[in-house]
Amino acid sequence: MDERWNAPGGRLVATVGLLAGALAGAAAFVVAGSAVAQRGADSTGPFVEATHLPPLLTAEGELVDLSYDTYCIDSESEEAEGSCALTGSVFIRSGTKGQFRELPLLSDGTASRLVAHVPEAIASSRTGFTYYAEINAESGRASVTLPAGGAMAPHQSLPLGRAIEIDLGRHRFGDPSPADERVAEIGWGDGQSEAGLEQGRNLTPIGASAFDVDPSGVIVLLDQAHRRVLRWRNGSGTPTRIPLAIAGTLADMSLAPDDTIYVLESVNRVGRTPLVRRFDSYGGELEPTEIAERTSSQIRQGPSGPVVLQQPSGQWMPIAYAGSPVGPEIQRRRGRSGRPLRGGGEVVVLRRGNEIRVALAGPAGVRRSWRITSETALAEVQLAEPFGQNFVLVVRVLTDDEDEFVALVLDDEGLIQRITLDSADWAETAPLGRFRLVGHSLYQLGSTPTGAFVDRFDLEVR
Amino acid sequence: MVRSRIFLACFVTAFFLTSAGTAAAYHTRFVADNCNYAGPTPTPYITRDGSTTVALRARYEGYQWAGGCWNDNDRDESPNDPTSDSATGGEGGDCSGFTFKVWRESLTESDAGFLQWGMLRNIHGPYTASRFKAGAGAPNVTVSKSALTNMDALASDSHIGIIYAKNADGTDQIIEAKGEAYGTNIWTRTYRGDSSYGGVRRTGWSS
Repeated sequence: MDERWNAPGGRLVATVGLLAGALAGAAAFVVAGSAVAQRGADSTGPFVEATHLPPLLTAEGELVDLSYDTYCIDSESEEAEGSCALTGSVFIRSGTKGQFRELPLLSDGTASRLVAHVPEAIASSRTGFTYYAEINAESGRASVTLPAGGAMAPHQSLPLGRAIEIDLGRHRFGDPSPADERVAEIGWGDGQSEAGLEQGRNLTPIGASAFDVDPSGVIVLLDQAHRRVLRWRNGSGTPTRIPLAIAGTLADMSLAPDDTIYVLESVNRVGRTPLVRRFDSYGGELEPTEIAERTSSQIRQGPSGPVVLQQPSGQWMPIAYAGSPVGPEIQRRRGRSGRPLRGGGEVVVLRRGNEIRVALAGPAGVRRSWRITSETALAEVQLAEPFGQNFVLVVRVLTDDEDEFVALVLDDEGLIQRITLDSADWAETAPLGRFRLVGHSLYQLGSTPTGAFVDRFDLEVR
Repeated sequence: MVRSRIFLACFVTAFFLTSAGTAAAYHTRFVADNCNYAGPTPTPYITRDGSTTVALRARYEGYQWAGGCWNDNDRDESPNDPTSDSATGGEGGDCSGFTFKVWRESLTESDAGFLQWGMLRNIHGPYTASRFKAGAGAPNVTVSKSALTNMDALASDSHIGIIYAKNADGTDQIIEAKGEAYGTNIWTRTYRGDSSYGGVRRTGWSS
């Protein structure tokens, strides 16, 4: 035993030291915990929030109302009803140029819905109309502009024009088409060649949250729970693993033509918006970009770099230009209602009830459009892409007990091909991360209780 | 000099062992230091807009399995709480606790009345996501998914989220307590189309 331990009074000193240390340790934890909790008790300031479903594509003769659901918190009180009064205006013009005209937003009789009726002369304009709203708390303490870019990047509503009409009738469930090839497959687990499921009590299965396919057919699967991507070269059964410095939660992804990997995170950082992280093809971290709005749902490649669909504006905003990140302010000022395509032009999609309106648009307005109706209920449009001279649309059909995807190949006369796809959605993914169209093939990310896979469906070409 | 060194060594050792051990046992003191057990305030009516306001106050706050207490400072006070322990005392509701409070329901399942629970009232309520999905309790009914509107919910056997807004592409913006790594927020989701989810409605809205 150490001589010092036996020094006069050594045991007493050690005991006192242990007691004092224990007391100080416990006190330090309590103080730190209280400090965190007290810091957390502060309330955030007043705010106004509005949601709006823009009438992106209008049919001839259609009456158009612009409706905003508005919410306002302007006091410390937790009183839920009538938290504060709001007023607002819509600023609108025919086409995309000229002065905006102010229309007052009026209550529709409910506490929170404000509505402006679009004058017929504007609603029936051959070039459509553009608009934005400004909504203010009557106290003047908070306001919101929607979309966030205001006059610089207003919502655009286009006349649908002479749309090709397609009636899908009643969907017959339970007879999905087989894939032409299963191009990637991996089991769930934490091994080197397995994909992970996020861990958490009461958490639904969440794993392999997105994927993309490069022009040569290489499959890249985002295994976010393991913070990596898995890459299948053509014909290879075993994927290469590429670690990525990501959050490990639900995320969408997109491959750029230069092989840069873009990962669209979904979780906010404290007081900040989510990030789009960028990596080179070896997983080397590049400068990330902060998105402009509170949440987002998709990242795709646009004409000058990636674009992200952001909420609450509901607009596609560029997050990089020629390889360099674009900051939130510029993103807001360049928001578009349609998704800018790599080859030029835009795709505009509007689902209303059991009807989908979809258009290919250019600077002069709608070039081609389709109007698809269904007896069976329609859910989300997962994919809407030009396909040579044709167009591919993937939409989910549902009843209260069943759901499947339907892939439609459209041309100027109507429906060329219709494929029913098993929804294969045991594990949750990024909301619109399940399909990609590359070359003449549609790729589907699916999952079962045993693992995830990517199937390829070859489409008819005319 | 020797005594000082012995004291210092023992002090430092005990300090780190105690603070680390305490931290492990009580990941956070959020509930202990902030939350209360006050009774709810009955209200004569509820509106969907009012419940949206209740939900928005919880946005950006945390997630706590079996929890139901949060403040309104837009930060998770207990990030990365252990996911397997309902007693870690962290901030936030879980998905069903959040829904219970936003829908302003009663602890008595046969009572369809309207009760305003304070944000800092630590209450989860009697329903799991699965029971909400089944329409259990007097205030709750199942509804066809095609008929759902704002402040109705989509529930599976393990999760429930409330519809906040619709998007042009047919997805929904859902406000939900998603999980420990996510906290509580609004996200675009495709629950409506997913056949593992059913539609649920709180009855009795005034508008």
